[in-house]
Amino acid sequence: MRRRSKKIFRVLRELIRIRLQNLMMFRLGFFGPFLVDGTLFAVQLMVFRAIYSNVDRIGTWKEGEMILFIGTFSLINAVSMVVCFFGLQQIPEKIKKGELDLYLTKPVNPLFRITFEKMNPGSIPLVIMSLCIIGYGIYLMEITPGAGQVLHYLFWVVVMMVLYYDMMVLIRCVCFYLVTNARLEQLEDAALDLCMKLPGIAFYGIWRIIFCLILPYGLMATLPVQCMNGEMKWQRALAGIAITAVFTGLTLFVWKNGVKHYNSAGS
Amino acid sequence: MRTRLLPEYRKYREAVYMNLKAQLVWRSDVIFNMLFTISKILFAYLLWRIIFQQKDMVAGFTFHGMLSYYIISSFLSQLEMSDGISGEIFWRIRNGTFTNYMVLPINTEGYFIAMEAGVVLFYLAFDFLAAVIWIFLFRIRFVFTQEPLMIFCAALMVLLGLLFMVQLNYYLGILTLKYQEINTFLMIKKNLILLATGTIVPLALFPEKIVKLMSRLPFYYVTYLPSMLLTGRCGEEAVPGILTLIFWCVFLQFVIAVTWKSYRKKYDGVGI
Repeated sequence: MRRRSKKIFRVLRELIRIRLQNLMMFRLGFFGPFLVDGTLFAVQLMVFRAIYSNVDRIGTWKEGEMILFIGTFSLINAVSMVVCFFGLQQIPEKIKKGELDLYLTKPVNPLFRITFEKMNPGSIPLVIMSLCIIGYGIYLMEITPGAGQVLHYLFWVVVMMVLYYDMMVLIRCVCFYLVTNARLEQLEDAALDLCMKLPGIAFYGIWRIIFCLILPYGLMATLPVQCMNGEMKWQRALAGIAITAVFTGLTLFVWKNGVKHYNSAGS
Repeated sequence: MRTRLLPEYRKYREAVYMNLKAQLVWRSDVIFNMLFTISKILFAYLLWRIIFQQKDMVAGFTFHGMLSYYIISSFLSQLEMSDGISGEIFWRIRNGTFTNYMVLPINTEGYFIAMEAGVVLFYLAFDFLAAVIWIFLFRIRFVFTQEPLMIFCAALMVLLGLLFMVQLNYYLGILTLKYQEINTFLMIKKNLILLATGTIVPLALFPEKIVKLMSRLPFYYVTYLPSMLLTGRCGEEAVPGILTLIFWCVFLQFVIAVTWKSYRKKYDGVGI
């Protein structure tokens, strides 16, 4: 077990080293993802500032909760940008061109390598910016969270990061079976765009089923906020964990089955 | 004079037809573009439904007035597809194939305007159909102005707005002749324009000072003001709006001419 984790750590260190060397070649684009996503979330903050200057609440949420929601979504997105986004983005292309062969022949789990090989430290400022937004949200909520509450919040952020990762892999694994996943990525973009602007409390009826069960982006920043503002009930917590577990299982199954299905010639 | 103008006009007309026909190749794109307009309406519907449960009026909008604004602004923003122009020019210059446009016996900027016209004409009917479907699906009591003058002003503003956006994207695209990496900047511009055109929320929700500041910029007149005019608001801003937009179009055309003249010499046709 110890030898295995030592090996994983060594591989990870090498992947980061190679990635940093690559990034140094294109220094101008280094902070690109930070600037793009930074403006996206800054725009969202301005939009909700404008809305809250006209209304007191959106559902049960005051401005503080909404800022915390934006900050949390930004944090989940930023961490994925730093760690795995650019690696996972390449899955469809690698399958289509038959480049996955290189990964399957290496003595490292291919999904592990794809996940970590394109880390992007240029997005670290986005993580810092997200933490500042979260801090501001908590300040507006006028609460002083204790260590337990912070840990509870962090637990949900980590769970939702796993769910976010699952969704990314799952949507890209479709390329093992179909020529293109362009429409699914379009759907992913549309759903993400909607759910990063709209908290889960706004969904009802069929929309709740779609955005909390089928494309569960609606849960992602909502559950961590609900654990902070006291709206989290045990049924909701259980549902959140169950949904993440189901999607993680499904992702692993689809990936393993997809690799078996992969015929290496490219399509 | 007339005989000289006619072949010129025909060239652009052919470019419009060609790009209109080219859209037929991507039929599934048309359907999916149409379907994905729902995300904007759905965002508005869910957000404002929960807000209007506590209030009857927000910034002078009723629930149905607000949704009518979103239906129109989403229809107009969907028509504005000039984003691809800057991307196309960027990649063409970077891989050295921009020559394909330069050798055409037609003004390069004029060609892109004709291209946009072809695309807009093709999508017009489909986007209109999508808007009608969403009105019925979300049971919106659609608010629309009865004044022909307002409709005329809004239509003129939309045309000028589309022209301005083509000019802007063309200008940003040709900047690649000097600056190698403009892709990040293009993505940032996209985020900011969403806010400045009032596509995410009506600009009327912002404090008065900010709205006044935004009204000095051309983006205010691309989607926001036409949508407001068509929902029967801001009638007094119609004529000044048209004049402001004309000013911006002329100004940008001047900037494009100067930039093109000095930067096109930098193009070597071999890519970067």
